[in-house]
Amino acid sequence: MVGAALKCALVYFVFVYLDDRWLGWQTITRPIVVAPITGLLLGDFKTGIIMGASLESIFMGISAIGGAVPADATSASIIAVAFTILNGASQEAGLAIAMPIGAVMSSFGALEMALVAAPLVPYWEKLAQEDMNKFCVQNYIFSAVYQLIPAAVMFIAVAYGVEGLNNFLNILPGWVMTGLNAASGMMTAIGFAILTSMIWDAEVGIFFFVGYVLAAYLHLDTLAIAILAVAVAITMFFNNKKLIDLKSELSAKGVENKGEEDFF
Amino acid sequence: MATNTYTPEEKAILRKIFFRSHRCFMMFSMAKMEANCFTMCMQPVIESLYPDDREEQGKSYLRHQAFFNTHTNPFTFIAGLTYAMEKERKAGKVDEATIDNVKAALMGPTAGMFDSFWFNAVRVISAGIAIGLCSQGNFLGTILFVLLYGVTQSVAKWYLLQAGYNLGTSFIDTVFNSGLVSVLTKCASVVGLTMVGAMTANMVNVPLNWVINTTGKEGGEVVVGNILNSIFPGLLGVILLFVLVGLIKKGYRPTQLIAGIFVLALVGALLGIF
Repeated sequence: MVGAALKCALVYFVFVYLDDRWLGWQTITRPIVVAPITGLLLGDFKTGIIMGASLESIFMGISAIGGAVPADATSASIIAVAFTILNGASQEAGLAIAMPIGAVMSSFGALEMALVAAPLVPYWEKLAQEDMNKFCVQNYIFSAVYQLIPAAVMFIAVAYGVEGLNNFLNILPGWVMTGLNAASGMMTAIGFAILTSMIWDAEVGIFFFVGYVLAAYLHLDTLAIAILAVAVAITMFFNNKKLIDLKSELSAKGVENKGEEDFF
Repeated sequence: MATNTYTPEEKAILRKIFFRSHRCFMMFSMAKMEANCFTMCMQPVIESLYPDDREEQGKSYLRHQAFFNTHTNPFTFIAGLTYAMEKERKAGKVDEATIDNVKAALMGPTAGMFDSFWFNAVRVISAGIAIGLCSQGNFLGTILFVLLYGVTQSVAKWYLLQAGYNLGTSFIDTVFNSGLVSVLTKCASVVGLTMVGAMTANMVNVPLNWVINTTGKEGGEVVVGNILNSIFPGLLGVILLFVLVGLIKKGYRPTQLIAGIFVLALVGALLGIF
C-alpha cells in the first residue's frame, strides 16, 4: 500500500505542479488525464482509461468557482483508480473511498491558501522591488514546496487511511476553521483596497458605487456593467473633446476676443 | 496578424511574455491572485525600458504587484496591452494611473467572457469527444483532450498577446496625436472605478453569522447580517474595504493589514460572530 500511495502522491504532485504553476491550462489535472496515468503506473492502463472517462463525466459539472470545490477532482480520481485496481473493487466502491479523501484535500487546500499563500504576499511585494530574478526563482521553489504539502497529505491518506486526517482536522476547535475561512474570504478585500487606493480619483470616485450598485442590486454581469461604464466614458470623452476644441478655437481667435473677455 | 512588422526586440519580449504568462497561478493567493505572474510577465518589458534605473524598475514592479485576476487567455491580451502602455509611458504619453485603470477595467469582463467560452464550450466539447473514446479503453481520447483543450489555449494566448500589443500601440498613438490624453485618463478612471466597484460587490465578502436573541425565547432572534444587508447589500464588505483604503493611505503595510484580518477573523469566530 505504501508503494502505491507513493505513486499516487507522485502523479498528483507532478501533474498539479506542472499544470497549476507552469502551464495554467487546467487540463492535465482533469480526471481524464490523471486516471489513465495512474492506471499505467499501477499496471492496469485499460481500467485507468475507462475510469478516466466516467470520472470526467462525474466531475465535469463541478468546477472551481470562487475557490470553493466540494471535492478535489484530481486527488479523488487518482485514489479512485488506485483502489479499484489494487483491491479489485468496483468503480463505485473506489469512488466511495476516494470522495472523502478528495474532500479532505479540498479543506487542506483552503487551509494552506489562508495560512501560507496570504501571509507571503508582503514578502513578494518586497522581493519584486529588490530583485526580480530572485523573485522568479523563489516563486518556482516556493510553489513546489507549497504543492508538496497536499501531496504529503494525500500520501498519508492513501497509505494510513483518511480517519487520522479527519481526526487532525477535528482536533482544531471549530472556531479556528471558521475564523480561517472567514479570514481567507476577507483577504480579497486587501487586494481590492490596494487596487482602489491606486486608482482612486476624487472627481470620478463616485463611479465605484455605480459599479457596486449595478452588481449588488441589479445583479448584472461584469460585461454588462463594463458596456455601461464604457458608454459613460465615451460620452464624457466626446464632451471633453468638444470643450478642448472650443478652447483651442477661442485661443486661436484670442486677439479678437480680448474685448469680449472683459465683459464676461 | 501583423506578426512580421515587429522589431527583433519586440518579438523577443512578446515571446518572453507568452511563456511567462503560462505561470498564471504561480503562488496564487486570495489577496493578490495572479499578481505574481503579471509582475513576472512585465519583467522583460521593464528591463528593456529602464535597463539601468533600479529605482524606476522597483516602482514599476510594485505597481504590477497589484491585485490581478482573469481567465488565463485574456491574461495575455491585457499583458500585451500593458506592454504597449508601459512603452508609451516612457515616451510620456500615458501615466501610471491609466495603466492601473485599464488593467482593473479589463479583468472583470474578460474573465466572465473567457471563463464561459473555455469552461462551458471548449472544455465540454473536448471532454465529450474524449469520454467517448476513453470509455472504449482508447488512450487517444486523453491525447485529444489535451490537444483540444490544453494546446489550443496556448495558441489563443499567443494571438491574444499580439492583439493586445497592436491595439495598445495604435490606439494610444491616435489619442496622443489628437492631444486628448488627459481626457482619456479621466475616462479610464471612470471605467476602472466602476469595474472595481462591481468586482467588490461580487468578490469581497464579510461572512457575518451573528444572531442576537434579546428575548431569550424562540422567534426572538435578530440576524444582524440580514439587517445590515437590508440597509445596503454587502455593507460590511464596503466598510471593510474603505477602512483598509484609509489605512493604506495612512501608510500601513500589507503585512499589518493581513495580520489584522487574521486577528479580526479569529476573534470574531471565537465570539461567534462569523
